[in-house]
Amino acid sequence: MRSPRTLEVWKLGTVNYLKSLKLQERLVSERKANRIPDTLLSLQHPPTYTLGKRRTDHNLLIPESELTKIGAELHYTQRGGDITFHGPHQAILYPIISLRSIGIGARSYVESLERSMIEFASVYGVKARAGNKCETGVWVGDRKIGAIGVRISSGITCHGLAFNIDPDLKYFEHIVPCGIADKGVTSLRRETDTLLPSEEVIHEQLVSCLAKAFSYDHIVWKQDPSLILDIQEGNK
Amino acid sequence: MAARLLWASRVASHLRISVAQRGFSSVVLKDLKYADSHEWVKIEGNKATFGITDHAQDHLGDVVYVELPDLGRSVTQGESFGAVESVKATSDINSPVSGKVVEVNEDLTESPGLVNSSPYEQGWIIKVELSDAGEAEKLMDSDKYSKFCEEEDAKH
Repeated sequence: MRSPRTLEVWKLGTVNYLKSLKLQERLVSERKANRIPDTLLSLQHPPTYTLGKRRTDHNLLIPESELTKIGAELHYTQRGGDITFHGPHQAILYPIISLRSIGIGARSYVESLERSMIEFASVYGVKARAGNKCETGVWVGDRKIGAIGVRISSGITCHGLAFNIDPDLKYFEHIVPCGIADKGVTSLRRETDTLLPSEEVIHEQLVSCLAKAFSYDHIVWKQDPSLILDIQEGNK
Repeated sequence: MAARLLWASRVASHLRISVAQRGFSSVVLKDLKYADSHEWVKIEGNKATFGITDHAQDHLGDVVYVELPDLGRSVTQGESFGAVESVKATSDINSPVSGKVVEVNEDLTESPGLVNSSPYEQGWIIKVELSDAGEAEKLMDSDKYSKFCEEEDAKH
């Protein structure tokens, strides 16, 4: 009989990308030392383009100097995957979890992230599917609705998934999203006629779908100002 | 399964080692040492070759990119020296022993999939000059590693 597993969820609102990276670094270290349980960050970013470890910046279609004009930042990261955009009304989940504790590897982990998003989409009657080989992510037909980019060090995950609720899709026109040229992007708003509840409710639903996909027994929700202060603390 | 055992036997006879056959499906070779982060190491005198195990490549999915360290760089037991990317996930590779990098497998730049198709042979990742031969004592032998994999897989 396995012991019950708890997921601690931090609801962070909108967080600057670099701040979120620093927070994740700290949490990965804490998780590795077993000082914290499996933790999930639930947040959004201001307009931000990010690149993965392979630095595929040929997939950014406008000069870097133009980015401030459109109110966006660009960051290079150590995660897997190609170029992507994050922005308001896109739900981001960064699980900081120990894969060794549950005995799974990268492939299984990513499949569970895909399942979380597919299940979440189905709540709104949207039939999403996992990508084909080389197209990791979640699709509605030929349109990508959810992206994944992950880093695993010593079996602890960081970065994670981004699900388009209702972001400004025009930002995606400045990149070849995820390096896939002939397919489009979409959002929950575009794909369903169902009236969408508040974003807070939507984020909670997405989190619940992830918790279910990973068979967590309990979710502990954390949402308090001192967490935001914690982020600032971590920056000193 | 039969095809994989045939492959394993061929690998084994080429390397002159025997195959440890277990209930689960990934291949573990005797005469190699293993780290709990799923890297294998072959020690010959004061040189060591390492890569990731069959269990690791199976759990990673198709490898599309291997980040190799620079020659001459030092590596430390248990610490990351490079990474592989598969299914939009970069996974750090940890060094099973400490030493200095003397050779890297350049083939992996063009053909990262060798890590999947031939994890113990053509998919080797780096060779180092050992700095501490005693460190290998801390690693698992093939029997311990097989058991370790079984226990890990049983967790979910």
